[in-house]
Amino acid sequence: MHSGDAMRRLFPLGSYVLLLFFLTGIWVAISPFAMTTQPSGAHWIPSTINNVVVGAILIAVSLLSILGYMTFELRDILREAREKQLKQELAEQQATALAANQ
Amino acid sequence: MMQMTRPTVGKYIWGMAASLIILLAGGWLILAPFALGYQPYGADWVSQTTNDFWVGIPVAVVALVSFMLFFASLIASLRAAGVLLARPRLQQQTLATAPGPAMMQAPAPVAPAMYVDQSDLDRTLATLAAALAADLNNRRQAQASSDQQSDQTISNRRDV
Repeated sequence: MHSGDAMRRLFPLGSYVLLLFFLTGIWVAISPFAMTTQPSGAHWIPSTINNVVVGAILIAVSLLSILGYMTFELRDILREAREKQLKQELAEQQATALAANQ
Repeated sequence: MMQMTRPTVGKYIWGMAASLIILLAGGWLILAPFALGYQPYGADWVSQTTNDFWVGIPVAVVALVSFMLFFASLIASLRAAGVLLARPRLQQQTLATAPGPAMMQAPAPVAPAMYVDQSDLDRTLATLAAALAADLNNRRQAQASSDQQSDQTISNRRDV
């Protein structure tokens, strides 16, 4: 397998969507401060707490999801490579045995 | 012959779970200003409400689409692995192109052997449907010929 194919398998279109969710999470978390709806130096108001918590959830879930998908896909790629190698070895053994019999 | 591969459903389940959580988060973002009461009732939307609402909607929609795509990929993976069977396709028999209007063509009798990989019930229903269609076409043909005959009679009387 070429490295380009492997990268495409490790980072499919869904991973870019999850990256978008990650960026959205950052915006949701910082928006109360960026939009100055949170008074400076005061305790966090309910909307700020809500946005920071939801933003953190979006960031964590999207990052974990990207990493999780990558891990599963990497495991699949390694397993396929191992199976391919085993098949080649088996074919070589059969060819050797056939040659020895003849 | 269908190639059998080992099903790897973990990544799809993982993606579906993440999409579902993000979908719920998006839904909550839309509802939060009203549920938590930082949007005054009956007043114009404050900036935080507007921001949460217009961020929540695309998040929820994209998460829903993502969930459906992961689900479709899961089903495709299970089909490729042979866990789920692909839908049996009806083998359509090419009808002989006989002269005359298409509506009047009587369908060729459908033998149960045409439907491969189907249950007995499906085959019985298909045969029944074919018989009904043939009967309907025969009636239409009979009606059309009787209409032609009556038209001919009327024109003959006029001629006389």
